[in-house]
Order: sequence, then C-alpha cells, then structure tokens
Amino acid sequence: MQFDVAFALSTVPTILGAIGMTLLVAAVSCVGASAVGFGLEVVRRSGGLGGLFVRFLIDFIRATPVLVWLYCLYFILPFYGIRLGALATGIIGLSLYYSGYLAEVFKAGIDAIPNGQGEAARALGLGRIDMTIFVIAPQMLRNIAAPMGNYFVSILKATPYLAVLAVPEMLGRAFDIASETYRYAEPLTVAGLIFLGLALLISLAIKRLEVRLMGPTTR
Amino acid sequence: MTILEIWLGILQGFRVTALVTLYGLVFAIPFGLIFGVAQYLTTGPARFVVTSIIEFWRSSAVIILLFVFYYALPLAGLALSAMTVSAMVLGLNIGGYASQAVRAGLQALDRGQKEAGHALGLSRSTILLRIELPQALVAMSPTFINQLIQLVKATSLVSLVTLTDMTFRAKEISQIEYDPVPIYSSLLLAYFIVCYPVALFGRWVERRINPAREARCAV
Repeated sequence: MQFDVAFALSTVPTILGAIGMTLLVAAVSCVGASAVGFGLEVVRRSGGLGGLFVRFLIDFIRATPVLVWLYCLYFILPFYGIRLGALATGIIGLSLYYSGYLAEVFKAGIDAIPNGQGEAARALGLGRIDMTIFVIAPQMLRNIAAPMGNYFVSILKATPYLAVLAVPEMLGRAFDIASETYRYAEPLTVAGLIFLGLALLISLAIKRLEVRLMGPTTR
Repeated sequence: MTILEIWLGILQGFRVTALVTLYGLVFAIPFGLIFGVAQYLTTGPARFVVTSIIEFWRSSAVIILLFVFYYALPLAGLALSAMTVSAMVLGLNIGGYASQAVRAGLQALDRGQKEAGHALGLSRSTILLRIELPQALVAMSPTFINQLIQLVKATSLVSLVTLTDMTFRAKEISQIEYDPVPIYSSLLLAYFIVCYPVALFGRWVERRINPAREARCAV
C-alpha cells in the first residue's frame, strides 16, 4: 500500500466539513477557559482559604494531562447521574483545563499593572468590582494579548482530543473515513495539515494584533 | 477492586510512561539545541527552512502527528515500533518548543558578550559554545523544566497507539470493573505525583536564577 494522493484529496471536503465543529469547540472553550481562569485568578488574589484552594487547584491542573481530565469528566460525571453528552463534556474539560493556564497569564498581566492604578481607583471611590472590570481588566488585556493568544492556539490544537470522546470534529471525521476505507494515513494527514494551517494562520493574526496593541507604548 | 489493586495496576504502566519520556528526551534535547542555535545563526532562505521545520513540529496538533506517523510511516516502508514513533513525535514536538527557548535565550544575551569574545580573538564556534550557550541555557532552564512536564503529560497520548502506559492501564482496569471514580481520580493523582515535584524543582531553579521573573510556559 502506498500513500494515495488522489484519495487524500478526495477526503478533503468531508474533513473540512467538520471545521465548523472544530472552530465551535475551540471558540466556546477559549471563552470558557478565559472566564473560569479570570475567576480563579480573582479568587486566588483575594487570599484566604479559597485563595489557597485555588492555588492548589491551578498547580494540580498544570501537573496532569488534559486527556486524563477528559476521561475523568466523561466517565465520572455519568456515575453521579450527570449526563452531558460528549460535546458538552469535551468543552467543559478543555475550558477547565486551560483555565489553569490562563489564570497564570492573567496573574502576570495584573502583576504588570502599576500599583497606582488600583490606588487611584480607590481614591475615586470605585468599589472592588468596578475597579476590577473598568480599571484592571482593560489594562490587563493589553498586557496579555500575546500569551493569551498562544493559549488560544493551544486550545485549538487540543480540540482533536475530543475525537477520543467521539465528538464529530475534524480528527473524528478523519477516523470515520479511515474505518470505512481501511486507509488511515491519507485522511489523518489531511486533518493534520488543516490543523497546521489553522494554527499558523491564527498565530500570524496574533502577532499582528500584538504589534498593533503594543504600537503606542513601544516608541 | 480495592484502591490498592487500582494503584498497583496503574503502577504497572509507569515503566512505559517513564520510557517514552526518556526516549522522548533523546529526540527533544538534540532537536531543541541544534534547531534553536541554527535559527539564531542563519539568515535568509536557510533560516526559512529551519523555521519551517521547527513550525511543523511545534504548531501541529501533537495527537494528530502521533496518529499520522503511526499509520503513515509503514506506508513509506518504515516499520518502527509504537514506542519509537511515540518517542519521536512527542520528543520532536517538545523539541520544537525547546528550540524557541534556546533561540530566545541566545537573543536575550547582551551583545557585549559576543563582541568581547570577538575582541579576544575567539572563533565564532568558541564564542557560541563557551560564552553564549552556557549563559542562555542556564537562563532558560526553568522553561526547559516546564517543557519536561509537558512531555510527561503528553505521554498519556501513547495509550491511543496501543502502548500500555499508566493511562492505558487505567482504561484496562475500568473495563474489567466499572468503577470509574477511584480509577480515574487515582490516575490523575498518579500524574500529579510524578509531575508536581518536577514543577516545584522548576520554581526553585527559577528563584535561584532570577528572583524577579516568573516562569514562562509553553503548551
């Protein structure tokens, strides 16, 4: 058996047809991971028992594989009667897992904001929540656009893990073709190349965004 | 099944997890060093070729790379064992990340270091090996330790290409007896026990090298 280029090309439309699912999973997981990650970082900064717990949780997430987290959610949640389906489980898994990494990004972004900003907000009589949303968050976002974007690319590259849970994204579709035709190399290569193209495209967009955001400050 | 039996079962997979990590390093360390230095030294078309090879390994989704090489290499007449393919793919993927740390470390050095070497009449290779690389590698060592953790976590993927690592063993046990809660939480904990000491060591190294800066981590 040899690598059949014509067959590989014939699988492109089918695999590309699942790009919507891949992008949906990636986009929702990026939003979820950012929201949860920001929440974790806020709790961690507020200290106390909650802060300690979150600090340990983030360390724990970062020392364990995402694949195992997906298995855990997929097999353990139904055991307790929580049936979410593969897609929701996968999105929750990716969101939770990458929230641990994004919390670290947010930490670095907040640490980089001068203390005077928070003091000024308090002097103006802003509450803790207003200060977080209107003073800290916008400046933080500018600081972290690049590392955050890199993790978004990581999340995109982690979406094929959901094929293990039988979510019909691009890798899952490639495996469907493979099991019908008994040819694995071609559809998998096609899926791999599409993912590579997507990842490079988004990395490029992030670099451009970084240049634009950093433009005014780097004279 | 008692918790002890579960742990003994998972432990049987530790050898494969450790071996894939070890063999992965055999690919990752030379690749990261050689390509990082090459990207630093080359310009023009040569740099484009070096960057393309790095980006292929770094920007591809590692789970798909693993499947592609597992199924496609035999078509090219290369019948490698699952262990070799896994070590190569996971190793070169992490090596791609490591090469960026090597390059960034070299670029971050003060230009005076190289100029002083030239002024002393040292050859370019002596400057690189005796002046630039030692400083760059020490400065980036926390990043390398983080990447080692990424490699250990990525080895959970080899369970998908029939290698009996810790993740594979856990899945096997849960097929014998439906008891997902202790099995999969033990598996998470097993990876944590392996990776967390490495993470703590990385933080200690980080504090020794640079008290002010936080570790940057690539996934």
